Amino acid sequence: MAERIPQERLRNFSIIAHIDHGKSTLADRLLELTHAIDPRQMTSQVLDSMDLEREKGITIKARAVRLEHTAHDGLTYGLNLIDTPGHVDFSYEVSHSLQACEGAILVVDAAQGVEAQTLANVHLALREGLTIIPVLNKIDLPSAEPELVMDELETALAIPREEVLLLSAKEGTGVPELLEAIVDRVPPPKGDPGAPLRALVFDSHYDPYKGVVVYVRLEEGTLHAHDLIRLMASGAEAELLELGVFRPQLVPVPLLRAGEVGYVATGLKNVREAQVGDTVTSVARPATQPLPGYQVAKSLVFAGIYPISGEDYPLLRDAIEKLHLNDASFTYEPESSIALGFGFRCGFLGLLHMEIVQERLEREFSLELIASAPSVDYEVLLTNARGTIHVDNPSKLPPVSDIEEIREPWVRLSVVTPAAYIGALMELSTNRRGTFVDLEYLDPTRVLMRFELPLAELIVDYYDQLKTRTAGYASMDYEEIGYRPANLVRLDVLVAGEPVDALSIIVHRENAAALGRTLVARLRQLIPRQLFEVPIQAAVGANVIARETVRALRKNVLAKCYGGDITRKRKLLEKQREGKRRMKRVGSVEIPQEAFLAMLRTDES
Amino acid sequence: MSSPETEPTEASPVEAPPVALYVHVPFCVSQCPYCDFVVVAGREARGPTNRIDAFTAALETELRLRADALDARWGMPGSRPALASVYFGGGTPSLLPVATVAGLIDLIRDRFGLAGGAEVTLEANPGPDERGDPAALRDAGVTRLSIGAQSFDPDELRALGRRHTRADIAATVTGARSAGIPSVSLDLLYDIPGSSLRTWSRTVDAALRLEPDHLSLYALTLDDPDAEGLTGPTGDHLPLRPGARRWREKARSGQDDDRAAAMYEIADRRLAAAGYEWYEISNWARPGHQSRHNLAYWRRLPYEAVGPGAHAFDGATRRWNAARLDTYLAALTPTERASPNPPPGGSERIDSGTAIAERAMLSLRTAEGLALAPAALARLATRLAAPVAAGLLDEAPNGRLTLTLRGRMLSNEVFARLV
Repeated sequence: MAERIPQERLRNFSIIAHIDHGKSTLADRLLELTHAIDPRQMTSQVLDSMDLEREKGITIKARAVRLEHTAHDGLTYGLNLIDTPGHVDFSYEVSHSLQACEGAILVVDAAQGVEAQTLANVHLALREGLTIIPVLNKIDLPSAEPELVMDELETALAIPREEVLLLSAKEGTGVPELLEAIVDRVPPPKGDPGAPLRALVFDSHYDPYKGVVVYVRLEEGTLHAHDLIRLMASGAEAELLELGVFRPQLVPVPLLRAGEVGYVATGLKNVREAQVGDTVTSVARPATQPLPGYQVAKSLVFAGIYPISGEDYPLLRDAIEKLHLNDASFTYEPESSIALGFGFRCGFLGLLHMEIVQERLEREFSLELIASAPSVDYEVLLTNARGTIHVDNPSKLPPVSDIEEIREPWVRLSVVTPAAYIGALMELSTNRRGTFVDLEYLDPTRVLMRFELPLAELIVDYYDQLKTRTAGYASMDYEEIGYRPANLVRLDVLVAGEPVDALSIIVHRENAAALGRTLVARLRQLIPRQLFEVPIQAAVGANVIARETVRALRKNVLAKCYGGDITRKRKLLEKQREGKRRMKRVGSVEIPQEAFLAMLRTDES
Repeated sequence: MSSPETEPTEASPVEAPPVALYVHVPFCVSQCPYCDFVVVAGREARGPTNRIDAFTAALETELRLRADALDARWGMPGSRPALASVYFGGGTPSLLPVATVAGLIDLIRDRFGLAGGAEVTLEANPGPDERGDPAALRDAGVTRLSIGAQSFDPDELRALGRRHTRADIAATVTGARSAGIPSVSLDLLYDIPGSSLRTWSRTVDAALRLEPDHLSLYALTLDDPDAEGLTGPTGDHLPLRPGARRWREKARSGQDDDRAAAMYEIADRRLAAAGYEWYEISNWARPGHQSRHNLAYWRRLPYEAVGPGAHAFDGATRRWNAARLDTYLAALTPTERASPNPPPGGSERIDSGTAIAERAMLSLRTAEGLALAPAALARLATRLAAPVAAGLLDEAPNGRLTLTLRGRMLSNEVFARLV
């Protein structure tokens, strides 16, 4: 370990960028140039250590790394790069990563230009008072149009072109200049090392041996190995097991001081006691006020997560608890369903977050899972002044007679798109009950459009549609703008008169009939014929709005000449018996679980 | 499988000497793509390189070995029960030289005993060159001829790969009658691809015009014995040939469960009107002409079996011979160094739970039905509630359960709840 670098030579920064604009490649380059990593051990996208991150090309969890750089002035600077997730679902994590920094490198693809999330993240960084270092990446591309993109930065973000650095992370050009700019432009951290300890938790992971390991940025004070610490929001106390910095692997150090970034192994078994945004202080000399900004992550999208095979429920419970240690931003509580058995109702930051949580549970814990259709959180005003309740599971919606009004969350959506697709996006959003707000030209060919629409319409497949209708060119970002009343109803699917809980959805009244017809037609194909005729209905309250019928089974017989081969006959029957045992029962109807899975897997459109 | 709720005493595995003997003769002139039985066709069945003689010798050896074992276990014929039935199945047993059939029956009579009035069935194909000489067969001791008619519709016969015509079926029946064979049965297939209620009605009527004593109506069932795991080196089925696999895949798309059920109901009505009594899911007979041999299977009586792929049951163990003719011949043909051995194959011991389930499923297939003590019936009530509500089962006042007409076509729905 080199000698301690004084606070005035520390620089804490993050990189904000739209997906694919080259953030991870740039981080790799910075690591190489500062010799943080042996080039022979260099794998591409070092910071994205989860398989999922490499595959999806996105950063899910924030990661941090400590770099050392000897600048032109001959002094060695300590640079803490705090990586941030690049997707709108994770803006809570992004904001805490940014809160731990004094500066942010804004990476914009010189060929693609400014995107919706670029705008959102820059606004977030400015709100935190960060110094922005704008960078145009990929200037080696023949299609790069740095002048045009600098126009966009000026128009959309008021960033003067003189501040913009041009570089190619792929080829390494411009990266040394960027290192100098970080040293020159990003202010050093302030904060009194002698004050009571206040350290911001900006990330955490769970280690089976060290317990919850929190990633912290020390705002004030000094942290010593073996200090007794307290998390101010949760109240949890712990004796430090280890203290260290990221290089990028974890390297223990004896102490961390105000302005530094590092990790703390707490030995805590439950990440809920040390969540992102919480403040670490010392028990011996506690701070009086926590750092601002802590809030419980707000779930926007809800779904039931179930094991495909019922006996995996205990494994799922275990897996969810463990994953929650790493990602406290989703919520879960036990839930059961006739169709799907025992599982968990989970709340997610967004649809991508839901996908990631499900995939991580499946991959990291070898589970096979099915999720029910995603729902948003509805506000239901009850009749007779009985107040409002929140409903995030359609099957929990009270009877129509108890409902005075249903309100649903709305979002303001920002879309950056080539101007050629304005019409297509107008149509998409109005079809989804959205309203157009305004439109702004970023440059002669690209526009920023704003819409308002119900979140429920966004989470179905809006993003896929957006990409499809704009040949992949449009990008989007959204923020919540509160609840609005809507003419919503619950659409139930009934099999032989019994509602199938997992298939209930809340929809706009005008869409109910068409959707009901689609659902029953699809389910009819999936339910095997039974001993009796089975009506399949879609209903709103007591009103049946669509009906199909599964005709009664007429033949299931071993009526071939088997001679004395009773064994084969019996085995065929045993197989049928096993098939029946795996069936789920809705009333007297036996339905293979695959039917529900197929219903839930198919996109509704 | 276990079924603790029926009475364990009723079907506890008890070994007993066989009352029936099945003899499998694998030779066919040509192979039908829907058939799952152990069959060798073409040059092995006819012409200078046929293996009928080698097979006959091996079969006789197996009969002797099986008889030796029964002698040791149950005493010599005369001191143990004689056979009530013998069944030559195939394949096409009518391809055997009639002297061979006579020799086999003599050997069986000698080593196993044949009860007075025993039923001796031989399966025959109607083709002129494969149906055999009925008078000589009668003289050899055959009392019952089971004729593989399958259909009277020329297109359907062609589609099935059958070599005979409608006229051949009639000639075979007439020949058997004039030779004095006491009982004549016809096999028919329904749910043939391309068939209709109309062609089926005509086939049933044409069969009835020939006035057979017995009719077996089988649903054309296109299984995949490879997928069922039956075709390994010691399996009781031969691997499906690629041509047959393709044929089945295509044919399945021409089948229709609703049509099949309707065909079954049409046939049941016409056969009843013509004086045939239904007595098993696939079988109808004039009074006194039920197949005693097949009833032994459904009544779970012990039966011996010889020939490749044949299945035997001694009351406690089910045993089968491997399907492959080569291994069959290799085991049973003596060499300078080795005396003959029983052919390879497999067996399974039936525990009492399985025995109860088997008994339930086999007896419910028949008009006799399943007799249960009231207590056992009460215990089964919940499991049988759905099939009873759906009208699949009738309960006689004496507590005997039988399948209704609809229940016969849906019998697996009952059995799968009982096993």
